[in-house]
Amino acid sequence: MSIGRNEVLHAARLAALAVGEGELDRLVDQMNRIVDYVAQLDQVPADRMADPFLPGPASAALREDVPDPVPLARPPAEFAPEFRDGFFLVPRHGAMEES
Amino acid sequence: MSAAATAAEETGARLAAAEPLNAALHWSQALLDAEAARVDAARSPGPLAAMPIAIKDNIVTVEQPTTCASRILEGYVSPYNATAVNRLRAAGAMIAAKTNMDEFAMGSSTEHSAFGRVKNPIDPERVPGGSSGGSAALVAAGVVPVALGSETGGSVRQPASFCGVVGMKPSYGRVSRYGLVAFGSSLDCISVFSRTVDDAGRVLSVMSGHDPLDATTLDRPPMAVPTALADLRGLRIGLPREYYPQDLHAGVAAALQRTRSVLEELGAEVCEVSLPHSPYAVPTYYIVAPAEAAANLARYDGVRYGPRRVGSEGDIHALYQATRGEGFGAEVRRRILVGTYVLSAGYYDAYYRKAQQVRALIAEDFRRVFGSGVDLMLTPTTPTPAFKAGEKTEDPVAMYLADIFVCAISLAGLPAVSLPVGRSEGLPVGAQLIAPSFEDERLLAAAAAIERAISADAEVRP
Amino acid sequence: MSWETVIGLEVHVQLRTRTKMFCACRTSFGDPPNTNVCPVCLGLPGALPVPNAEAVRLGATAALALGCTIHHTSVFARKNYFYPDLPKGYQISQFDQPLATGGRLTFEAPDRGRVQAGITRLHLEEDAGKLVHDRFPGKTAVDLNRAGVPLAEIVSEPDLRSPAEARAYLTTLRQILIYAGASECSMEEGSLRVDANISIRRPGESRLGTKTEVKNLNSFANVERALDAERNRQMGLLEGGGRVAQVTLLFNAGTGQVKELRSKEESHDYRYFPDPDLPPLVLDEAWISDRRDALPELPEARRSRLEMALGIPAYDARVLTSEVPLADYFESVVAAGVEPKTAANWVMSDVMTTFNETGGFPVPAGRLAALVGLVRAGTVSHQAAKRVYAEMAQSPDGDPAAVAERLGLVQVSDEGALGTWVDEVLAANPAEVARYKAGEAKLMGFFVGQVMKKSKGKADPKGVQPVLAEKLK
Repeated sequence: MSIGRNEVLHAARLAALAVGEGELDRLVDQMNRIVDYVAQLDQVPADRMADPFLPGPASAALREDVPDPVPLARPPAEFAPEFRDGFFLVPRHGAMEES
Repeated sequence: MSAAATAAEETGARLAAAEPLNAALHWSQALLDAEAARVDAARSPGPLAAMPIAIKDNIVTVEQPTTCASRILEGYVSPYNATAVNRLRAAGAMIAAKTNMDEFAMGSSTEHSAFGRVKNPIDPERVPGGSSGGSAALVAAGVVPVALGSETGGSVRQPASFCGVVGMKPSYGRVSRYGLVAFGSSLDCISVFSRTVDDAGRVLSVMSGHDPLDATTLDRPPMAVPTALADLRGLRIGLPREYYPQDLHAGVAAALQRTRSVLEELGAEVCEVSLPHSPYAVPTYYIVAPAEAAANLARYDGVRYGPRRVGSEGDIHALYQATRGEGFGAEVRRRILVGTYVLSAGYYDAYYRKAQQVRALIAEDFRRVFGSGVDLMLTPTTPTPAFKAGEKTEDPVAMYLADIFVCAISLAGLPAVSLPVGRSEGLPVGAQLIAPSFEDERLLAAAAAIERAISADAEVRP
Repeated sequence: MSWETVIGLEVHVQLRTRTKMFCACRTSFGDPPNTNVCPVCLGLPGALPVPNAEAVRLGATAALALGCTIHHTSVFARKNYFYPDLPKGYQISQFDQPLATGGRLTFEAPDRGRVQAGITRLHLEEDAGKLVHDRFPGKTAVDLNRAGVPLAEIVSEPDLRSPAEARAYLTTLRQILIYAGASECSMEEGSLRVDANISIRRPGESRLGTKTEVKNLNSFANVERALDAERNRQMGLLEGGGRVAQVTLLFNAGTGQVKELRSKEESHDYRYFPDPDLPPLVLDEAWISDRRDALPELPEARRSRLEMALGIPAYDARVLTSEVPLADYFESVVAAGVEPKTAANWVMSDVMTTFNETGGFPVPAGRLAALVGLVRAGTVSHQAAKRVYAEMAQSPDGDPAAVAERLGLVQVSDEGALGTWVDEVLAANPAEVARYKAGEAKLMGFFVGQVMKKSKGKADPKGVQPVLAEKLK
């Protein structure tokens, strides 16, 4: 499978990552290298396939519904880039208007 | 002066002297002294009594910044401590410093830090390995006896091998990940560097055990401190043939040969085994880890913490693009893009789902061998000793292949330890011992026996 | 041209838990911004999710109340996209292995009678935070108190055939979920949200037309209005020779119009994958059985029981069970000794008016029963009793008899007094007396009315008639 500029730009859009024109070609090259390398998995025969594997517990242990929040050593106001009257602030979202 | 105050003073002096290594990112004498005061004020010294421990900069602490060696978290100070850090401090340990690493734990040489590379104390022109290079270097240089790192695909065992120290990765689910900045969630393990197997065991015993804040920890009690075995009689140790290629570096091969002899002298039965899906470990890893990472790193968007950069248009999308585009380094951006690609519409089944299935086959290989009467496995940790800085930074895949012997263990969630077993042309060589899931105590008990019998600093002749 | 309308609804309800879906922060509504937050729901580096047992219980209960099959194993998945109200840059939801599938909801459709709509699935997920756009100029403000609150997403099959049906479906769905105790289901408070999908096709056509999604619906009435507007828009397009594009539209309640969303993202590729921080949710048969046993009586069952056991008409049963507290109150009144139909009449009128105004029942069931007893005994007329009730609703300590006394509404049944009034009325209306005696029996009503007037309403009408009859002989 070959990755072109469009695939890289599309992935960059999905990942909200600015990709400069200058680095685009090199990125396309490198990503092709990587994707060609990992495509080796195609060699594993389909009939040998097992269920996807995750280590860890076989089932989720659930937490009882008791309020007990982890306390913060310092409030959001102290680590937020922009904070006013108790709110995190971001530039006004231009594209979508919702109530 | 109390033991803690002495340790604080000495550690500060050693950290200052070790500045050229660029291994420590955040430390101060004031904080060291504060840690000593805290330990002295505690009712009892605890099992780790005033032990100074360096912490990889992707494990959150309240007193020091946590940057993950990335510009996107420059200046970020976490408002909570990782569970592992809380447990260590409750046991009397002192946080010495936050250590340098590959950005967001992505790398095998600690050359991908936004704050400069780390030098291998044995040979400063060489890399200490990665991504936990800073922690490895501080232990190797004698600055601290123990340092925490994290493993996703070998990031503690590999630097341990390059730096000539012990590197222990516990079973997945043994130590809480609450407070470990996530890279590959199904792979990440807080792991330990130390000069002795015993220290690694003591520290792991304190950190381990179920954590209600981490749903992937198993509901088991903490690991007991392992007692070193007197010998290896009654143990069957397998050597997987896929890990001993014909063209293995001569020095590494010689060191492993010598280690095998030591095992036999200690009474172990050594045999050859096979893990047939081994060749697929690195490609599998480089699909699963970037995919999980792409999602885990989506939260770095400049909205709630970290520095923020706003692009010229000034809207929210510009904020995301600029913050992330400028804040993440090249290797991180590459992996996020690969991860996004393999999860995207039309590719999920071919890449991610397939990789998770192959992962099951890899895990099954180990289960089968361990289930056939083999207690432990022995392999080289790395294909070569430490390489020179700049040697592998051009080709990402070349760098990935440095993980070839450590990767599969991470995919299977097993415990493994790298022990220094000799030197090749003056450079450390590590051997890796692997155990079945949740047999961390037995692994360390056997490792301690080997440690006692082997001359880690002795030059091996091929 | 005639068209068939096809509607499907996606409803999100907040589950009635004290803490969030994946952390132990409180879910309380209306607290100061960003005060119910912790590392997990803030999406801080290193934080991890742990699922809420009560959310799973309530989700399962809701699923059972909707006749769904609960899957023994379900999986949490990450839904990846960027938005300022989404702290982690992904929402933890469920994708191809949801908690429950294959349910149904039966409701009264205005045009078609009883309709059974399919429920495709019910799954668990976490809510996003809240954005405030107009508080700071040029900025959007983010409040993460709501981020992480447990949600159940309920997706219907495209079985609804008109905007009015959509409204009826929602009314019944809300009722069932409230009865099941799963959610407060308040659109005003945001604990119930609706997105609608609508398409049209020629009658008899089996393929579905292109569907559009309508959002920003803040009441059931507006759901109906919005779908009407969108159906008209689609009809206009197709009848004009155009095509319907698959777009998302926002409803403007002020103008009653729908407007296409200008979105930068052409397609949403959410890149779902199982969340590696969360092992699978495994629920065994015994656990599911316990949830089934613990299911409260649902609206349909309660309606039936009231009809069968108490013999009240179907219409009354439907009205009385429209809200759980109303039904509870009604049954208390019956338990206190009031005849069911009488109780129904009272609860559907006077009691319901106060309930709708105040949300409560200022007159305890026992006291209403006592009041009804006074009417049965003839101590007060029914009309007077309504005034007594109104007075008791203001002062809940009032004993009905005392209040009636105080208001001077106690009826006079004493034959002597009645006789005096009757005599006065007959004396004042000799012409009518003559006509009555000549055979105009219906003038009895006139005489009774006159006696009531003369007595200023105090005469017991049931007692008046025999006295009149006697004296008119």
